[in-house]
Amino acid sequence: MKFMVIVKATKESEAGQMPSTELLTAMGNYNEELVKAGIMRDGAGLHPSSKGARVRFSGKNRSVIDGPFSETKELIAGYWIWECKSLAEAIEWVKKCPNPMEGESDIEIRQFFEMEDFGEAMTPELREQEQRLLAEAAKGKK
Amino acid sequence: MKFLIIVKATNESEAGAKPDPGMWDAMGKFNEELIKAGIMKEAAGLKPSSKGKRVTFSGKNRTVVDGPFTETKELIAGFWIWECKSMDEAVEWVKKCPNPMQGESDIEIRPFHEMEDLAELITPEQFAKLEERRAALAARN
Repeated sequence: MKFMVIVKATKESEAGQMPSTELLTAMGNYNEELVKAGIMRDGAGLHPSSKGARVRFSGKNRSVIDGPFSETKELIAGYWIWECKSLAEAIEWVKKCPNPMEGESDIEIRQFFEMEDFGEAMTPELREQEQRLLAEAAKGKK
Repeated sequence: MKFLIIVKATNESEAGAKPDPGMWDAMGKFNEELIKAGIMKEAAGLKPSSKGKRVTFSGKNRTVVDGPFTETKELIAGFWIWECKSMDEAVEWVKKCPNPMQGESDIEIRPFHEMEDLAELITPEQFAKLEERRAALAARN
């Protein structure tokens, strides 16, 4: 099962405050463990939402809204993609994570949809397309 | 530059509504274009937050909170990772995307911290270790 593990933003991360060397060291060690356990697929930290944008879809209209966005605690500061046996395993790994922020913080764990979740709506042709696209995207990966 | 492109949730996606077949086909074509342009690195849809959890960090405490989470419009329904030349290029591509939801919806575009941002924050030893890990991950993928 694949999971997206989301580090939620805080006032500090949105203000562009960067992590201390101490936290970066602890996080580096933690990431080493994730890689050794074969769980980690990807991970990154994101710039504050002030460097981001949103596009709103409404009928045929597309309007671009520049960051920053106000609902700080619901924004994303970073994420991992993990392959785990179960949600319980993902939770255990998150609990081992150093607190990614100076103060209180949340990490959210969300499961990927797999092919079988789409049932009959996912026709054999669409399934074949999806697999081909993923293979091609993987080739383009650095 | 790498970007996380976030499809924000709606009441329908949180309720587990099946995708509209027309939208699904249009999204398949859009994804084909992204791949042809060499932009797409990764993509996935996420199950509603009712199947997710949160862990709150407070001092030494770790508290597990079960989904669903209430602030629907701030949740994530899916994402891409793209490699683009600029924020402008990413915005142009998002504008070409079929509306991923039945009604009104938002897609958020957020640039990654790049290695050079980190180089200023961590020691050369830490940076070397980070590069090692990234190489190991790339080899595995």
